[in-house]
Amino acid sequence: MTARRIGYRVVIIIIAAILQVVVVNRLPLPGGHPDLVVLVIIAMALASGAQIGAILGFCGGFLADVLPPAAHIAGRLALAYTIVGYGAGLLEDPEETSVLTTILVVASGSAGAVLVYSGVGGLLGDARITASSTIHSLVATVVYDVVLSPFVVSPVSALARRLEPIRPRS
Amino acid sequence: MLTVLLLAAFSLITLDYRSSALSGVRSAASTIFGPIEDVVSDVTHPIGSFFSSLGHLGSYKHQNEALQKQIAQLQSQLHLTALERAELAQDQKLLKIASIGQYRVVAARVTAYGGGLGTDQTAMIDRGSVNGIKVNETVINGDGLVGRTVTVGRTTSTILLADDPTFGVGARTAAKQLELGVVSGGGRAQPMSLSLLDTKDRPTVGESLVTAGDTANGDSPFVPEVPIGKITTVNPLNGALAYTATVQPFVDFTAIDIVGVVVHAPKVIKHDSVLPAPPKPIPTVTVTATVTATPGGPGSPPPSSPPASGGTDATSPARSSTSSSP
Repeated sequence: MTARRIGYRVVIIIIAAILQVVVVNRLPLPGGHPDLVVLVIIAMALASGAQIGAILGFCGGFLADVLPPAAHIAGRLALAYTIVGYGAGLLEDPEETSVLTTILVVASGSAGAVLVYSGVGGLLGDARITASSTIHSLVATVVYDVVLSPFVVSPVSALARRLEPIRPRS
Repeated sequence: MLTVLLLAAFSLITLDYRSSALSGVRSAASTIFGPIEDVVSDVTHPIGSFFSSLGHLGSYKHQNEALQKQIAQLQSQLHLTALERAELAQDQKLLKIASIGQYRVVAARVTAYGGGLGTDQTAMIDRGSVNGIKVNETVINGDGLVGRTVTVGRTTSTILLADDPTFGVGARTAAKQLELGVVSGGGRAQPMSLSLLDTKDRPTVGESLVTAGDTANGDSPFVPEVPIGKITTVNPLNGALAYTATVQPFVDFTAIDIVGVVVHAPKVIKHDSVLPAPPKPIPTVTVTATVTATPGGPGSPPPSSPPASGGTDATSPARSSTSSSP
């Protein structure tokens, strides 16, 4: 896997992370917000497999950990997104992922990301992590991510497949 | 016969209410009759319109075009001015609160919000160290306390919003002069909470809280007298030593746009000067100038000085706010 293949995808993740803080987090949505970064990571993992998924998950998570105005202990999102990227990559579908699979992967991936992030935060004694805040965040993120997945996951997956037209495996 | 029909009707009602056995019938009906109704509607609607519009046929098209152009123009105008007006109003409120409290502020615009998966209640502003902002400075807007700066870059800074659960600020009620307790954030869209320090104190519902910032020893990041919020409920003790209360913040944290970073604390503290004015009686101006008929007489009182008006100081220094509007 060349650095260039990762590089293109990292650029897309950066765009998603910036849109997240500038546009998405500004929306006065009830409960929480969709997570564009996790959607993009899932989309790319579905297109490119577990290894790239995990790498991109880490890059995206780390970026989201440090991109201002983040103010939590860095590494928590990196851990969460790495696991999600790897898990989504295991269900890789190089041809065309079915809509149902996509939705299921997005729902479980978003839930997994919230749980890992909150779990680690709880262990670290983050005052923001309470049972009710975790449940709020879990429900809102999963619902909004599933709603957004046709508009984000499908185009990004298609783009990722175009960036990598020749598969190393059959 | 009637009995049979009534019974059949009741049976249908019962059936439809209790089960979905009739849905097949209904869908079959819509399959058959739906297209027919559509066709009929298509045919009849233009006829009706034609007859009603026969009178002004010629002028319609031009009028329509002209009106649509006008609407588009007006809408764009309205949109722009509404946005500008809102920002201007926020700016003015900020300047007002800064001049009353004699805070020197750097005005900034919120460019990004934390949140998403991270539960961080944070925001990024478009001013940084080149504008004189430092870490741990109070951030206010026209309504009151917004938060404090936690990270300062060259041209941007990160604010920890006051509704973040890791945020805490020493507070006092408007009536008392001593530090009363600590107000901490409750998370996104949740009220803040106040925990008292003194076990004998009991807060009352409806009291306003302001920051108890201490400029004397300078170890508090907060300048004094910034309005925080109102006490909405006082929680029962339940075996605890000191009371806790929930506080509704004055600032709407989902709609902050223009904020000010206080870069200089006021030298003189005027208590309760910044709070939103409570419904107080209108100050009556009493003219006490006595007209003396014998000027220069030994018993004449000196000309009375104008009555000092309480409350806001009209002669506050002009340097109280340096705003660099974005």
